[in-house]
Amino acid sequence: MIAIEGVSKRFDAARDRRHLALNDVTLSVAEGEFVSILGPSGCGKSTLLYIVGGFVEPTAGRVLVKDVPVRGPGPDRGPVFQEFALFPWKTVLGNVMYGLQQGGVPRAEALARSRELLTMVRLSAYENFYPKELSGGMKQRVAIARTLAYRPNILLMDEPFGALDAHTRTGLQNDLLHIWDKDRKTVLFVTHSVEEAVFLSDRVVMMSSAPGRIKQIFDIDLPRPRSRAELLLDRRFQDYVVEIEKMFDDTAQQAPA
Amino acid sequence: MTRLTSIPGLPPLLACLGILVVWELLARWYGLNGLPPASQALPQIPHILSDKESLIDMGESLRRMAIGYGLALLIAVPIGLWMGRSRYAAAFFNPLMMVIYPVPKAALMPIIMLWLGVGDASKTLVIFLGVTLPLIYHSYQGSRAVEEKLLWSASAMGLGGFARLWRVVLPAALPEILVGCKTGLVLALITMVTSEMIARQAGIGNIVFVSLDLGAYDTVYAMIVIIGMLGILFDVGFEVLRRRLVGWADSPHTIMVGSA
Ligand SMILES: Nc1ncnc2c1ncn2[C@@H]1O[C@H](COP(=O)(O)OP(=O)(O)OP(=O)(O)O)[C@@H](O)[C@H]1O
Ligand SMILES: [Mg+2]
Repeated sequence: MIAIEGVSKRFDAARDRRHLALNDVTLSVAEGEFVSILGPSGCGKSTLLYIVGGFVEPTAGRVLVKDVPVRGPGPDRGPVFQEFALFPWKTVLGNVMYGLQQGGVPRAEALARSRELLTMVRLSAYENFYPKELSGGMKQRVAIARTLAYRPNILLMDEPFGALDAHTRTGLQNDLLHIWDKDRKTVLFVTHSVEEAVFLSDRVVMMSSAPGRIKQIFDIDLPRPRSRAELLLDRRFQDYVVEIEKMFDDTAQQAPA
Repeated sequence: MTRLTSIPGLPPLLACLGILVVWELLARWYGLNGLPPASQALPQIPHILSDKESLIDMGESLRRMAIGYGLALLIAVPIGLWMGRSRYAAAFFNPLMMVIYPVPKAALMPIIMLWLGVGDASKTLVIFLGVTLPLIYHSYQGSRAVEEKLLWSASAMGLGGFARLWRVVLPAALPEILVGCKTGLVLALITMVTSEMIARQAGIGNIVFVSLDLGAYDTVYAMIVIIGMLGILFDVGFEVLRRRLVGWADSPHTIMVGSA
């Protein structure tokens, strides 16, 4: 489904500020696979997602989606940005409906689907609020609903639960898995939480920084559908978390400050 | 004690009253011929406002102002938005703006009159020139500041280049564009009056300067007050519009008026 082939990205901000953000990253993601990316801050996780999304061009290498080289953004790949990027002039409902109406979905249908998604992210009561009137976590949930609304085949999620409190976070993890179980989208999911990565993913990719590259890939062999309560007691789950956390600590320590 | 400033509308009313009192006192104190007291000038206002000739004159002025302002909106906003999104457009238009900015637009009036005569066209053009630069400048700043990820989100939804400019850059930059519109509105009023001062024929400025020549100072001052009231009226109307259009945005900017 997604083939990242030898992708490197160098930023040339100035002559003395060249920065190799990604170095020769190769990764393929199967259709319907849920892959998480972990790594220290600044290792190029967002950059990698932007390249797959077609927002940023790689300096070297290429990305194929369904065997077609990525030339730019498209509705087959839905991004959820770390910064939310909600349209401030649209209400919550307007934001969620935006992509649907852009895609030519009739108004009534777009409205119904948007309301359904807002119920899922528990924001039905806020549909007429403007983004500036929402908390960080609420904005993030709107951003997720907005992207899910136009049904991209691939979800590119950049720390979508980063700004949420632990309770909402686990709630949304469950919801995301639930939605994902229904239509098995391909997901690239960036996170800082090892537990979250293990809970959600089929594979966890550990990156190291400066230059950013893939350090190790873990297969998470846990049965689905997964339930949080059961997994927390599951020995295998605990082992994965501990193993990856150790590796994460090592990687972070090697990373220059 | 209840705070007087907390009563809406009271502080500006007090300020106006204060000015009138100072005006009245100064006029009585010095007894200058060229400075009639407020109590003498103000009664002229209803007189002027019920005079058909002057009303036609004012209508003419406002019509020119509306056309000049409208044309400027249609041309300046797209240019500004385009400059903010394209490095080449910015590189092309920026030096032009730098050259034109310090030139007082009303001072171009005599030259323009050589080309277009003393009629409507010259005055409208001067108003247009006076308004264009702040409009371009603020549209440019607004468009430049649009968050990249908003555009990315839109292009992921399938919006093409032009649709993004129209449906993302324009609304996102609207609060800043409106700052330019508001500055432009004041400048339009100023250039309107000055243009008529130079090319006298009809209009608000014409009434002022003809009365000045005739020594009808109370009319002159009454007209100045009317122009000031027009300014306030535009400002209030604009605020209502602004709140409706960009209520979703954070607090408004403070407005600075540039050169006319
Ligand atoms: N537009 C840019 N210009 C120059 N350098 C950039 C740019 N974008 C990213 N970088 C650099 O590339 C590196 C990777 O950035 P990126 O945002 O991908 O990291 P990240 O892994 O997502 O970090 P975080 O976990 O903090 O979000 C950083 O060192 C950053 O300084
Ligand atoms: Mg990031």
